[in-house]
Amino acid sequence: MRGVDDVALQGDLRAHGLALTVSEIQRIAERLGRDPSIVECHAFDAQWSEHCSYKSSRHFLGRLPTEGPTVMQGPQEDAGIVHLGEWQGERYGIVIAHESHNHPSQVVPFEGAATGVGGIVRDVLCMGARVIALADPLRFGPLDDPHSRYVAQGVVDGIAAYGNAIGVPNIAGDVYFHEGFRDNCLVNVVALGLIKESEIIHSAAPAGSAGWDIVLVGKATDRSGFGGAAFSSLVLDEADAESNKSAVQVPDPFLKNVIMRASYRAFDAIRELGLSVGFKDLGAGGIMGCTAELAASGGFGARIDLDKCPATQPDLPAAVIAVGETQERLAWVVPPSFTARLLAIYNEEFSLPMIARGAQAAVIGTVTSEKDYVLARHGAEVMRVPIDFLTGGIRYDRPYELPMPAVHSVRYAYREKTTEPARSSPSDPRKTLEIYFRLDDWCAFDRDLAFRVLGHRDICSRKPIYERFDSVVRGTTSIQCGYADAGVVVPIPGSPLAAALSVDHNPRYAQLDPGLAAEHAVCEAIRNVVSVGARPVGLTDCLNFGNPENPEDFGAFVASVDGIARAATTLSVPFVSGNVSLYNQSAAGQSIPPSAIIACVGAIADVSRSVTPGFKRAGNQLYYVGRIGEDIGGSVLAELNGIVDSRLPKIDYVEVRRQLAIVLDAIACGAVLSAHDVSDGGIFTAVAEMAFATRGGTRIGAELTHHYPDLPENSWCTGPATAFFGEHGGFVLEVTPSFHALLEDYDAERDYFWPINGITSEKYEIALDGDGCKYTYSLDELYEAWSAPLRNFYLELPQ
Amino acid sequence: MSKRVGILIFPGTNSEEETLRACRAVGLETELVHWNAELDSVRAFAAYILPGGFAYEDRVRAGAIAAHDRLMLAVREGAAQGKLVLGICNGAQVLLESGLAPGLDGGVQAQAGFAKNAPLGKFRSTHVYVKLAIPPARCAITAFLSAGAIIPAWASHGEGRLAAQPDLLKRIASEGHLAFTYCDAKGDAASEDVPNGSALGAAAITNARGNVLAIMPHPERDAWTFMHHDKSREAARGEPDTMLAPSGGIVLFESFAKALA
Repeated sequence: MRGVDDVALQGDLRAHGLALTVSEIQRIAERLGRDPSIVECHAFDAQWSEHCSYKSSRHFLGRLPTEGPTVMQGPQEDAGIVHLGEWQGERYGIVIAHESHNHPSQVVPFEGAATGVGGIVRDVLCMGARVIALADPLRFGPLDDPHSRYVAQGVVDGIAAYGNAIGVPNIAGDVYFHEGFRDNCLVNVVALGLIKESEIIHSAAPAGSAGWDIVLVGKATDRSGFGGAAFSSLVLDEADAESNKSAVQVPDPFLKNVIMRASYRAFDAIRELGLSVGFKDLGAGGIMGCTAELAASGGFGARIDLDKCPATQPDLPAAVIAVGETQERLAWVVPPSFTARLLAIYNEEFSLPMIARGAQAAVIGTVTSEKDYVLARHGAEVMRVPIDFLTGGIRYDRPYELPMPAVHSVRYAYREKTTEPARSSPSDPRKTLEIYFRLDDWCAFDRDLAFRVLGHRDICSRKPIYERFDSVVRGTTSIQCGYADAGVVVPIPGSPLAAALSVDHNPRYAQLDPGLAAEHAVCEAIRNVVSVGARPVGLTDCLNFGNPENPEDFGAFVASVDGIARAATTLSVPFVSGNVSLYNQSAAGQSIPPSAIIACVGAIADVSRSVTPGFKRAGNQLYYVGRIGEDIGGSVLAELNGIVDSRLPKIDYVEVRRQLAIVLDAIACGAVLSAHDVSDGGIFTAVAEMAFATRGGTRIGAELTHHYPDLPENSWCTGPATAFFGEHGGFVLEVTPSFHALLEDYDAERDYFWPINGITSEKYEIALDGDGCKYTYSLDELYEAWSAPLRNFYLELPQ
Repeated sequence: MSKRVGILIFPGTNSEEETLRACRAVGLETELVHWNAELDSVRAFAAYILPGGFAYEDRVRAGAIAAHDRLMLAVREGAAQGKLVLGICNGAQVLLESGLAPGLDGGVQAQAGFAKNAPLGKFRSTHVYVKLAIPPARCAITAFLSAGAIIPAWASHGEGRLAAQPDLLKRIASEGHLAFTYCDAKGDAASEDVPNGSALGAAAITNARGNVLAIMPHPERDAWTFMHHDKSREAARGEPDTMLAPSGGIVLFESFAKALA
């Protein structure tokens, strides 16, 4: 390497398929005091990739709140754990992990998405947990683009094929279609597990484990998934699309189904014997990445004999065995006294070798007290590096430019739209306060608006997608995918404890203001679990952004981290795990909308107190718990009216906290019969969805009224379109008469619940009366408008 | 004779836990039986349940490989002796592939199958109701249900469309093999209530003797009040014992337990 110029070295690195930079390889050579071997190059390539080392992002993640009374384990391992509740003297935790599989899913959608599910399930499993639920936030390009449709269909099919086969219910998720995801879809996956606090297994070699066995479990290593970690840290290039396919792993849910069940049996055996062990899934960096981190986390080194790693063919290069990302594998650190029992569980009782060719559990190495990570092949060492240097990663301080959010009020946008001469300086929109007019002057509330909102690509029914996922396998699901804002499982048989899960982030918002959009995502994810009656106990983030080497993209990342940190800190819900996915852009330089996708776990102490969104009876009062504001930037309403750069609704955290508290209290005391949060499409959409969600053959509609009191002179105010379709947050509740008494406790500020009032009705229609604007909609017609757009999701487009 | 029920697990089975819970909820002494269990120990069970999943990865056709699994020797022998055999979802597919249902003319070969869902040919998970379409006593497993019983369940499968030669379909209908058909909450049948395009609107098939029942939708996944979305859930508000109590789809297991008693 010495004596080679940088350009030639860069060429050599790329020729070997390495994403390492020249300065990185020089740093490695300097530390080792020699040129690294080919195997070592590939090892560092994986370990120092953005994917593994978070080299650009890690130091910002320290801004997130990660502590609180609900945290059983924060974000230091593959998954975090939050407290669910106590049952029969045991403290139960919910394990949560959240990851992306964006790049693979863009290249080979079915396999990419399927292996995404496979990976997240292993992250939860290796904590010693039962895997109890899945959720998928998905972002695709527009469906009228044939390739985006191909990607979307393949991703949905891949998630279905994997999740359904392993038998884990898919209980939540969201889907957005946006131009910005045309060349780079987002496939995020969330998995939940159930564990007793006393039975947590850590992804680290336990104390005193020098000399213990390292056991590899699963599929025989093959050539698939070589270079995956580095691949996911590169910009997708169309010309490389074919060669990138070899970096995608091949899923085997059938084998995983058996491995999961065999691992549950191993957990039982370990608990019977009271052993302390280490368990970790193989993801980025393959055998090397997993075993190095297992050993390093315990303060040890490791020695792996690559000849002992089961492989599909005898002549696989050492580097492929070491860092290839063949799927369906996990690694244990166990005392030698237990090794034979562990091997028997996998190889005999669950007959892995019969399930897939070459699949098995095998001892491949040893934990060592020396702090080196060593790989041997054919009796010779092909890698020997200081383990902390390998796993410690590196750090980049990338320059960034914080985004300039859209700051214009709609009033300003309105004036721009009209031909009237400006009465004040456009640079100071505040001056337009002098002008009195109704906001809805520019967005007329014609009758058809309701149909256009419900038929919008981001609002219409997702049923053709979520019906592809098994949301009821395991027989523990109380609220299935698509039935409410959050899915709910009752994971402990006989116990009323239940866990809720939701995901959220709005790309339309993020394009206007990434930081505030990220705050909205946190608030919205929390509202989602609260609306089924769950107390929010933990958050995860999957931060999907463009190229960190681009200061604007990285600025959006930094602003988003600050945004979610602010929201989570203010609302007192900690982050317990997360993931960063960078380089989400096409070769043409198109970055995705900044996407800080949030998942929220909620705890329900008594599932009989949970609520669903469907209306329960005619004649009940409907309340809007929230406050109607004037900002509608990013909303569907704004988009339908051609307003593209108006500011997002601001967040008043004092008010958000109060709303959450009121709704949780009201649900706990039985005053709420049904609840739905207000997000895309506003209050009208929420009410329509509550009517659609009514099950069991009952049909209930609603009457809504919205009237402003007399307006002060020169004041500014929203009109009925903004009131009904603006995205103001908050909740719509169907309540019992006792709800009023509860409000008295909360305070005098009754204007919380003003100015939309409603009542459920026997007529299957929504009757609106908004400041003189009176329309009646048949819910059958609204349902048709809501259902139609994705009904033909699987039909081919005409060529 | 022991009255123990064996739930058979093939590689790829995924619904053993909820099936076991449903059996235990109705007082059945039930055990999970692994694919490499001793055959004689499998023979010792008084009844068998084949649960849902993707046995042997649904290779060839759903249920086709498992129908030839070693464990099925015990099931065939048991069925011939009159033991109760209930197949749910993938288990139902195995029973049709093995010829244990409908078993017209004493046949032991597959006569009908559950083919890919129409129209998309894809897995679909949706809530359904099924209606008992035979006199209860026609099938031992349904003998303790009321006539025309309507049971809630989840159809969660990719291959659930009953398919057979037209003359065999006629006989399945006319000779009392059509045990359950899809319907709405009130028991009325309409084509939109059939989630998979199944011939005859068929949700379940029994054999000539009435001791084997192959049902595609999962009653065990709507067998507790907390799983429901009807008035029973609302009635259980604030009542955890009621919310966690078996109800709905559990009635099929209750009938099974009474038949075995």
